[in-house]
Amino acid sequence: MPGKTEPINGSVKLGSKESSTAAMPASLKKPDLSSYFSLKSLKLKTKQQELLIRVSILCLVYVLAFITRLFSVLRYESMIHEFDPYFNYRTTLYLTRNGFYDFWNWFDSESWYPLGRIIGGTLYPGLMVTAAFIYWILRFLHFAVHIREVCVLTAPFFASNTTLVAYFFGKELWDSGAGLVAAALIAICPGYISRSVAGSYDNEGVAIFALLLTFYMFVKAVNTGSLAWSLASAFGYFYMVSAWGGYVFIINLIPLYVLVLLITGRYSMRLYVAYNCMYILGMLLAMQIRFVGFQHVQSGEHMAAMGVFFLMQVFYFLDWVKHLLSDTKLFEAFLRITVTTAVGVGAIALGVGTASGYISPWTGRFYSLLDPTYAKDNIPIIASVSEHQPTAWSSFMFDFHILLFLFPAGLYFCFKRLSDATIFIVLYGLTSMYFAGVMVRLILVATPAVCLISAIAVSATVKNLTLVARAKNKVAQTGSAKGSSSSKGSSKASLDQSQPFQRNVAIALLLGAFYLLSKYATHCTWVTSEAYSSPSIVLAARGAHGNRVIFDDYREAYFWLRQNTPQDAKVMSWWDYGYQITAMGNRTVIVDNNTWNNTHIATVGRAMSSYEDEAYEIMRSLDVDYVLVVFGGVTGYSSDDINKFLWMVRIGGGVFPVIKEPDYLVNGDYRVDKGAAPKMLNCLMYKLSYYRFGELTTEYGKPPGYDRARGVEIGNKDIKLEHLEEAFTTSNWIVRIYKVKPPDNRW
Amino acid sequence: MRSLASLGACFTALLGASCAASQANITKPHSSAQILPSTFRPPQHFENVNLVRSINLEKGYVRETTNLVVQNIDTKPQTDYYLPFEDAIIAKIGGIEVRDKKDASKAPYEVSLVEFDPASPTQFYQIRLSPALAPKDQITLAITFSTLSSLSPLPTTVGQTDKHYLTYSFSAVFPSSYKTLKQKTKLKLPGADVPDYTVLSGAHSSENSEDPVKQGSTLTYGTFGEVPAGASEAVSVRYEFTKPVNFVSSLERDLEVSHWGGNLATEERYMYENRAAALKGHFNRVQWAASNYYNPATMALKTFSMPLRKGSSEPYFIDDIGNISTSNFRPAGREPLLELHPRYPVFGGWRFKFKVGWNADLAGALRKLEGDQYVLKIPFLEGPKQAEGISYEQVKVRIVLPEGATNVRFDTGTVPIVSSDITLHRTFMDTTGRTTLTLLAVNLVDELRGRDLVVTYDYPWVAGLRKPLTLLAGIFAVFTAAYLLSHVDVSIGRKET
Repeated sequence: MPGKTEPINGSVKLGSKESSTAAMPASLKKPDLSSYFSLKSLKLKTKQQELLIRVSILCLVYVLAFITRLFSVLRYESMIHEFDPYFNYRTTLYLTRNGFYDFWNWFDSESWYPLGRIIGGTLYPGLMVTAAFIYWILRFLHFAVHIREVCVLTAPFFASNTTLVAYFFGKELWDSGAGLVAAALIAICPGYISRSVAGSYDNEGVAIFALLLTFYMFVKAVNTGSLAWSLASAFGYFYMVSAWGGYVFIINLIPLYVLVLLITGRYSMRLYVAYNCMYILGMLLAMQIRFVGFQHVQSGEHMAAMGVFFLMQVFYFLDWVKHLLSDTKLFEAFLRITVTTAVGVGAIALGVGTASGYISPWTGRFYSLLDPTYAKDNIPIIASVSEHQPTAWSSFMFDFHILLFLFPAGLYFCFKRLSDATIFIVLYGLTSMYFAGVMVRLILVATPAVCLISAIAVSATVKNLTLVARAKNKVAQTGSAKGSSSSKGSSKASLDQSQPFQRNVAIALLLGAFYLLSKYATHCTWVTSEAYSSPSIVLAARGAHGNRVIFDDYREAYFWLRQNTPQDAKVMSWWDYGYQITAMGNRTVIVDNNTWNNTHIATVGRAMSSYEDEAYEIMRSLDVDYVLVVFGGVTGYSSDDINKFLWMVRIGGGVFPVIKEPDYLVNGDYRVDKGAAPKMLNCLMYKLSYYRFGELTTEYGKPPGYDRARGVEIGNKDIKLEHLEEAFTTSNWIVRIYKVKPPDNRW
Repeated sequence: MRSLASLGACFTALLGASCAASQANITKPHSSAQILPSTFRPPQHFENVNLVRSINLEKGYVRETTNLVVQNIDTKPQTDYYLPFEDAIIAKIGGIEVRDKKDASKAPYEVSLVEFDPASPTQFYQIRLSPALAPKDQITLAITFSTLSSLSPLPTTVGQTDKHYLTYSFSAVFPSSYKTLKQKTKLKLPGADVPDYTVLSGAHSSENSEDPVKQGSTLTYGTFGEVPAGASEAVSVRYEFTKPVNFVSSLERDLEVSHWGGNLATEERYMYENRAAALKGHFNRVQWAASNYYNPATMALKTFSMPLRKGSSEPYFIDDIGNISTSNFRPAGREPLLELHPRYPVFGGWRFKFKVGWNADLAGALRKLEGDQYVLKIPFLEGPKQAEGISYEQVKVRIVLPEGATNVRFDTGTVPIVSSDITLHRTFMDTTGRTTLTLLAVNLVDELRGRDLVVTYDYPWVAGLRKPLTLLAGIFAVFTAAYLLSHVDVSIGRKET
């Protein structure tokens, strides 16, 4: 029975207002209490149904966002991925074992030997504290989970939460339909999934949630002028600061937004309340994070926010004065004086601050954002990281798919219905798109904006089309006077002539939209399962018969280190593997992925690119016991140390001019075969990678010592090591470990 | 209720089931060890008439079986036969078992470690003969025990493909507290390649001009004539053993019983090390890969093969950093076989720590007695079955019974244990915690694999309802809290409508 009444209710509700009001007097004619009640309860029921559908869609999206990120667990196992997550995992483990204060005061002597690292003061603790908190709650509820499982699933969990925030944000920007579409889009958007699959235990996993939450609450605060919302956004900002260095984006985007509102004359008391409260409180809270400290008042990157804060005070002061002074001439004079003084004082303060070194200039990373070529010329260590490269067009297509086309459409809709909120999302979308173009990894920051704007486009289009299509239906169905009266409120004039044509087009367009969206869904699933679910610790390949071959060499080597070397052994490797060696191998490393000391990294780069006896001196001075290199010549694994070697040379050469890049090149070519540069053939990295490789036949029909990663026969097959000896080589040769011999006995 | 005493070595665990009702489920380890003065010398009540000792060196530990005819030369019936060990060895002795050779069906004799002045160079095990041996009577005892960590590689470092040799030093005559009239010692070696062994001058030898006699892979010392109490004749033998010397310094074995799931979950955590000679020079992958084609004997451990009981499924093989992808499970057949390949070949001196677990059908292990009583029969020790043997320095077995199980009693049969303890273990959604029985044994060898451990306990059916009720209460609490919270008005000012 209720199933039968539903469609009727739906048509009543979804039809124009007139139809229901027209029906009302008919029922009111009978002063029957029961019929009045039933009508009321019926009306309530449609609302409830709408709520039910909305909530169930949201629940499904929530679950979808979580399970689509579990491909990595199904394909591989519940493990931590890549490089940085291993550090995060290791610190979380420390936090859960030793408590918060020990974690905060932790001096880690296992990394950056002999310098060590003050962990508490040099990391964003948000992620670790979040995971530990979830862990403690689960433990309290007697769920005997391992901390690794919590860490693995933290990112999918927060991705699910992000979909909820996206829903509310979309609702705030446009309507609840747009919110639902935004939630669905962001749940499976590859740009976000790339950083939040299960196991990708990195800061970005929680930071995107915090970022979107902060923005949402700030927009809400601007829309309502509510102190509570701006307070909430300040706390959201605090969480973001504690989680990721990308908070700088917030602290620059919000002032920019405020500035744009001021310029476009959209200033209001609501904005004043929202920004001032958020800025002051957010700044004070952010200072509690030791890694950030006083940067909000001392660093160049944060000065824009402060400038806008003071500008806002001046602006409102002037507004107040204008209100008091009725004479415009007098006010103009006052305005001139005040603005000149304010700008002058501001400029002098900034100048003096910068000159005296109180305000630090912009950092290299920030510069490289504004000028993409900066890092390449000046900071090789930033340029050497693949995720800091400028984005290729294909990766935009890969990560956004149809959103790339929906984005401009959404912008159009936003401009068409301009409000404080849509201005914000437009600004967010445009700036983050620019940054996404500069650096590959910043696609992540752009993803929520792109999803939201695209959602507006999808929602508005589909809504318009369904309105047209349904209005048609109605007329076709009833065709009576009642039907025409129901369509009276909508665009009836345009319907008259082109009715059949327009309806068909609308249906066709709806089908097209549906097709595009389903394409998007399949693309996202495919990308997630094929491209973004690899842990990069375990490598998988297809064998000759289509079977799956697993290369588990990294863990083989790290576990060997963990079990069979002295507890205090120091391992030298290129910095990429530092975090993994400390987390999985549990051994001290010379350098790791926290590239805070360029000189130290350059020393390692220099050792790797020197001749063996020179390198031996460097290694002796660094107390190195083992050297670890990654080599892909047997398996054809291309991201190995030989392919990264030029960066070692460049970074080493940047500090020690003895190392010159041209020494390793032949006519500008990087070669490892017979025609390679003599320095190349005899440097430590070459020797360690290819030691005994000349005895091995890697591929049928090729000479021994054929390097499959580079497709050449190596140039130096007779490698003798004098100061090092091979300690362990993994089954597919991907990781090779050498022991540094103690110095010869001298009489 | 009567006490079930574990017979064997070290201490006996006695059940305190007969104490007050509130304490009914507490099992107390009971030490029957005697304290003896440091000047103690075993009274010469006995004489070993004839003695044949066989030392088995085929595996990575020493397993010694001595058959001896004991005669009471005292005038009164005697019960306490003392077995002496050197101070350095006593801590490595395990799995000691003494039976009546003539009557194999008889339960083994009670053996206990005698507590003694720790500074004394000789320590004793006390064998309690029951019934007491009457004067002039004879009895044939079969004494079996294993000695761990007493084989040492020589040379101490060998190359990757070299042959590997072990040496074993022992006394050619049986160390006894009593006079022995006639004896011989047989050595069973893994192969005929025995480059060195001590040749005795013939002082004790009565028959042979050549002592020992080597026949294939056996070596026989003796026959010796009358030997006084406490005599010894140090000899040593060096023999080829190109196999891994498997040594597990700690094995933790958890068995979790779930009545609801009908499942017996087992997890074992091993601290494994290969005690063979250390690898000389470095590990050469090229050579290793090349030599693996013809699969030569090697001292490196490549595979553990682990037969599981029928009905076992869902195995896992992991270590501290995740799944070890190089394992193989053959569920087919009567005995499912788990083949575990460590991440790297474990050479002499290398270590490998791992964890292996599986699920099994509970029905095959659990039986309901009358009332609420259940009896659980599980192997005390499972683990890999290796031709070269495995020795375990410390084995900790933990049986996690369902929440609310009481009145726990156990019988380890012929496996000697050191201590037992009953605690509460809190895990998934427990309110009070699960009753957990922890048993500790030392110096075991894989020969004891599969020996039964029987646990009986009471589990009232009401206790089985505890978990669903807890869940229900939890969910109800969440909904109530949500309902109450949704009715709280937290706004500061009045809302204008």
